[in-house]
Amino acid sequence: MPNFTLRFITALLLLATPTLPTSAHHSFAMFDPSKPMTFSATVKTFQWTAPHAILWVETGPIGKYGAGLWLLELPTSPGNLSKMGWSQTALKAGDKVIVDINPIRDGRRAGQFKKVTVLATGKTLTVGPISGAQPPK
Amino acid sequence: MSLAISGFLAVVAWNDASAQSQETINPAPTAADWAAIANLPDLSGVWTPGPLDRFPPGSTTAPPWKPAQAAQIAALKKLEEDGAPKNIYVNCLPEGLPSSVTQTLNSVEFLQTPGRVTILGEFDGNRLRRIWTDGRPHPDDPDPTFSGHSIGHWEKGVLVVDTVGFLPQVFIPEGQGVGLPNNGDMHIEERIYLTAPDTLQVDIVVHAPKVLSAPWKASRTFTRHRERKYDLVESSCRQGDFFDDLDTLGNAVFTPIPKDAGGAPVPPDQAQHSSK
Repeated sequence: MPNFTLRFITALLLLATPTLPTSAHHSFAMFDPSKPMTFSATVKTFQWTAPHAILWVETGPIGKYGAGLWLLELPTSPGNLSKMGWSQTALKAGDKVIVDINPIRDGRRAGQFKKVTVLATGKTLTVGPISGAQPPK
Repeated sequence: MSLAISGFLAVVAWNDASAQSQETINPAPTAADWAAIANLPDLSGVWTPGPLDRFPPGSTTAPPWKPAQAAQIAALKKLEEDGAPKNIYVNCLPEGLPSSVTQTLNSVEFLQTPGRVTILGEFDGNRLRRIWTDGRPHPDDPDPTFSGHSIGHWEKGVLVVDTVGFLPQVFIPEGQGVGLPNNGDMHIEERIYLTAPDTLQVDIVVHAPKVLSAPWKASRTFTRHRERKYDLVESSCRQGDFFDDLDTLGNAVFTPIPKDAGGAPVPPDQAQHSSK
């Protein structure tokens, strides 16, 4: 579902920020694997896009982070995720979940997605190797 | 019709006829051409590269950078280690070669048809790379591109490919955040062959005299999948820059997601926030 507040805020910020970097394809070194986080949240949207799918969740305050919307970036695309047991409907708006992430280092509510557990079903989804693929040489 | 106009039309017609007589054509394939393909190694189908991880795929041997480039690479590695990576694949422009062999984490598909081998990539908005096997030479002055101009021929089961005509901006990568442009005159040789019924190896030699002190040699293995779930899907590199939205008139539109300096998306309400 679209979110008018989200769009409104984005529109304001785009007006104020004329030169946003616009590359989806990027290194994940801005996420901090030494400070992994686990927290419960509610799925807002599961964005099934290349080159990286995005899980948007909402949660209350966590430590230094205020309550609000978190953007969790999966490290790969629908093409690859579909071979790991994922689908566009794997997560739905309103699902209560527990997420494991590596947070972005700059303190914003963003991070690299690592794992999700859907509380209602106990189903767990992660991002791993593709079955049958070769390890790097 | 005035004399001037009819004279002009006559010149145009003469130019058309002249151009037509000089036009090089791709001859229609014959039954024999199709039959000949059956005698070649079968590269058809979808191939996946290595699994997803944080290591640079491809060879563990780093490109032999010239001293000036080695210093730049060291600085990029430091940025990566410090958690402030530089985004080398700017604006989702195509990866090009050698990245589409050594760096890609997405599937490729080979199509063998008379006169050409076509490689599709589930990336770069669905990459199309063509290797001409009809005996043509490289153009004298190829238009520079990300994947270059490739010609190939078969040697004892090996597709031997030669590629020139690269844009100088095309990266030679060590990782998603570490790599440098070839800066011009890049030339790439590949040997593409089956090592088992569903295992493909690509040996690649990158000549980049502006930035490398010697050719960079790397190999990558790909695994074939015949299951339908591996069929290539449409995969736009820019779609993840946007979220699905509705405009004020109720039309379905894409709204941009703000990014950090390294290209990671951040929540719209925190676009300008940074504790650093």
